[in-house]
Formats: sequence, structure tokens, C-alpha cells
Amino acid sequence: MSVRVRDISHRYGRVQALESVTADAAPGRITAVLGPNAAGKSTLLRCVIGALSPAAGCVLIDGEPAHQLPTRKLAGRVAYVPQRPQVSAAFTVREVVELGRYALAASRRRIDEALGELDLNEIADRPFPTLSVGQQQRATLARAVAQIADDGHLVLDEPASAMDLRHVRSSTALLRRLADGGATVLVAMHDLTLALSLADECWLLDHGRLVAAGPTTEVISIERLHEVFGVGFEWIERPDGGRVLLPTSA
Amino acid sequence: MNATARRHLRGLAILTALAAIAAVLRILIDRDPRDGVISLAWPHPKYAWVRWTALAVGATVGSGLATSGVLLQALLRNPLASPFILGITAGAGLGVMTAMYIGHLTGVTVASSSVLPALAGALAVMGIVYSLGQRRGWLDPVSLVLVGVIVSAICGALIMLLQHLVPAGLHGEITRWMMGRIPEDTPTASLVLVGGLSVAGIAIGMAMGPAMDAATLGDDEARSVGLALGPLRVWMFLLAGALTAGAVALCGPIGFVGLLAPHAARLVLGPHHTSLVLGAALAGIILVVGADVARQAIDFDAGRMPIGIFTALIGGPAFIWLLRTGRGQA
Repeated sequence: MSVRVRDISHRYGRVQALESVTADAAPGRITAVLGPNAAGKSTLLRCVIGALSPAAGCVLIDGEPAHQLPTRKLAGRVAYVPQRPQVSAAFTVREVVELGRYALAASRRRIDEALGELDLNEIADRPFPTLSVGQQQRATLARAVAQIADDGHLVLDEPASAMDLRHVRSSTALLRRLADGGATVLVAMHDLTLALSLADECWLLDHGRLVAAGPTTEVISIERLHEVFGVGFEWIERPDGGRVLLPTSA
Repeated sequence: MNATARRHLRGLAILTALAAIAAVLRILIDRDPRDGVISLAWPHPKYAWVRWTALAVGATVGSGLATSGVLLQALLRNPLASPFILGITAGAGLGVMTAMYIGHLTGVTVASSSVLPALAGALAVMGIVYSLGQRRGWLDPVSLVLVGVIVSAICGALIMLLQHLVPAGLHGEITRWMMGRIPEDTPTASLVLVGGLSVAGIAIGMAMGPAMDAATLGDDEARSVGLALGPLRVWMFLLAGALTAGAVALCGPIGFVGLLAPHAARLVLGPHHTSLVLGAALAGIILVVGADVARQAIDFDAGRMPIGIFTALIGGPAFIWLLRTGRGQA
């Protein structure tokens, strides 16, 4: 059970979005996809969920090409949380979470658990369009949690970018529990400090190319980040012995 | 029974009752042509079939256009989507007009029923709007509506061209057809065909309700929960086009029904498409048959008013109200 990206390339018109990217995400691990804007993170994730058929190469989900898998079969293996959740009808939060089971057997227990995990019980009957973006992100994550099997694959595109700090913490703790339970977690993010604390592995992208892939502590170095982001970084020692990565003022 | 099911039952009961009231009024209402006095009375058996035909046509067209509107709004995730706004009505109208014009030129009837030319025009326009409404392979809601409005205007200009080319004696008939009418004398075969299509459209739409619920998610999200969005869109677009074509073939272009009826039903029933399709069909019947009743009662000494005037006068302000109050969700 794994996600294998094999030499994929894709372009939008003249823009090369991905170029010969090869990487693996293993079950039981959280893999962060990092890179500046337009590095190809979202395009890569769209290839992983089978929404985009790459111009070259393929993504293998448990050994089968993602874009060739029937959508219902894929839904049983891969759950997706987009950068900007969209629900064009006035469904309640609970109803949105229930959509995670659209192609799967109905499970009230899974819905209730997902609502509880994401602290949504109080707003479960509120219409989704009336929520703040952070609350919508939590509801969308709950939908994916209700969908994913214990050994499934969870693909997230900046899932907590609008959440408050408390819910960022509870959501990342949830991702850790899912990974510990056997899930493969692949998450695109911009917060390098969060990536350091959360991710076991990292894929670092720049201009559609994979700059580095491997254990987070090896991939994230000040020199490499400066090269990719064009910004200086420094390590700040914390009183508890940990380290925080911050951009330098210059 | 949970709160959602109770809401659906209550809403559908209200809409069914209103549709029944409109239907009974359409059968009973009578206006004395000499003094303009309006009365309610069971029609003389000799003329009853005229009113039953008008009722059947109104119910068929209202439910068909409304169902078409629900399908388009759900699958395009666009509350402004309707067969009229997207140019499908105009395309079907152009198909009918073209067949009429060729028939006039050659003396040969191109199609015994208007349904096939209307279907050809509707599908051609849907293909154009769907193709041009995309950006980078994604359906863009704003582009889609803009392209639909422009294609609708082009079809309108072509219809006017055909109208200009036919002999002056036919102008009046074509103008009345263009304003939408509820004929009291319709070929039974056409009525059965379009009526059957509307009933089948409602049944298919209800069966596809859960899929359309999932289709309200973004494209990638909908696929990720297991919905094959591409095939669903193609089949539902074809169904929406066929329903619109059938309505135009019977009554000419009637605006706002496909736009307003789904929103009205949504206010009563909420967003679940299984009940929404049925509710919108009932709201469409209320709107069209109710407008037909109103035009029996109102007379400016210029003959029976075209029904399209009523639906536009009711539908336009009502839709502005929906937009202003933010009650119009797809």
C-alpha cells in the first residue's frame, strides 16, 4: 500500500508545471510537499488523486495507475482535501461530511466520529456556505476522514491555511493518529516550521522539478531553502531544546 | 423521520396543493368575451378538451423547463444557469424557425413535429456553450453564462433574420410564437412525446439526485468522493437539452421558468436534489399553469396575451429579489 510517483511531467500551455518528478510516499508516514508558489505542488497532488492525467509518467496507487482507476474504486483508497473547499449548495456541515461516504457504504458511526474529531458537533447543522473558511476547511477534512480507510491514502492541499492555532494543532494531531494507524498522508503546505514538527518525509519542489526528497530533517536545510525560496533562514533554539526555522530579516 | 425528511414531505405537499389549485382554476376559469365577466364553472363537454389540452401542455412545459433548470444549476454549480440564460431555449427556437423557413421555401415539411428541429438546435447550442465556457479544461461559471447570453443573442438575431425573410403574412404568427404561447389545440402525438419526456426527465433527475448532491462539490472533490463527473454532466446536459427542446417545440420560447422554479423549490425544500427535482417540476407547473390562468383573466382588448410576457413579468422581479436577498444558491 503506497503512493509512487513515477517520472511525471505536465505542462499548462507554455508553463512547465511538473518535470520528471519521481518520489514515493509510504504508509504510516506523513509526507510534506513543500515549495514556493507555482512550484507544482497542487498539480502534483491532482495527479496523485487521479484528477489530472500527466502528459508523461504515472502515479501508482497501490500499484495501479491513479488516472486509470474507476472513480468509485479510487474513492475507497484515496481521500482529498483541496486548498479551497467548494460546496455550491446550502448543505449542512453534517451533510457535507456525509458526502465523503457517497461511493462507500453508509456509516453513521464514521460521520459522527469525523465530526467529533474536527470539533464540528456544535456547528453540524449550520449551512456550509455560512461558515468561515477555517471552519469550511475543518468540515472538508472531516469529510475526508469519514471517507478514508485505515490503510488508505489522504491527500491534502494546504488543509489548515485558514484555521486558528488551536484547530491547526488538533488537525495535525489527527493526521498523526491517521498515519500511526497505517494511512499514507501526503500534505502540501507553506509553513516550514509546521512541516518540521509534523512531517516524517518531505518532497521539495521548485519550478516543477523535485529538488530533494527524503527525511524532513535532511531535506530542510538553510542552504537549500535559500536556493528554492530566495529568502534567508536561520535556526532559533527553543528553551526545550527544539529548534524553530525562521526567515531572516535581511 | 428526521427533520430533513419532514421538511421534504411538508414542502412537496404544499407545492402539490398549489399545483392542484392552479390546475383546477385552469379548467374552471371562464371569461365572457362580450362583457369580460370572469366566472368559475365546469366547461361544457364540447369544449372541455380544449382546457384539458391547455392544462396538459402547461404542466408538461412547466415541469420540463424547471427540471432542465435544476439539472443545469446543479451540474454547472451556477445559480444563474437556466435553459433561457444559456441560450438553449433560443437554440431550440432557431431550430424550429429554420425548419419552418425551409418548409416555407420548399413546400416540403422538414419534420412532422417541431420536436426534432428543436432538439437539434438545443444540442448544437449546448455543444457551443459547453466548449467555449471552459478555461484550461475547467468549466468557468462566469464564461459559461457570458457565452450563453451571447449565443442566445446570436440565435435571436438569426430568428429575426428568418422572420424578415418570410412573407409579411406570416410575421404575426411567428411573433406570437416567439413570445411563447400555450396552444389549446396540439397534435396528440407531440403532446404524448413531450409529456413522456418530461415524466422520464423528472424520474431520471430524481434517481440521479445523490449524484447531483455530490456534484455540488468542486470538480476534484466530486471525483475524489467517487463521482464520475464527466459522464454525469454529459448525460444530464443531454437530458436538459431534450426537455428544453420539447418545451420549445410545444410552446415556443418561454423564459424564466427554468431559472425561477428551481430557486422557488429550493426555498421550500432545501438543497437535496432527489426532492428538489420533483419540487422544481411542481413549481414549474404552478408558474406556467398559473400564468395561463392569469392571462385568461386579464384582457386589454388585444386578444389572449402570450404567456411569455407573464412568466417574464413574474420571473424577472422574483429573480432580482432572490439575488438581492442572497436566497439563490445552486
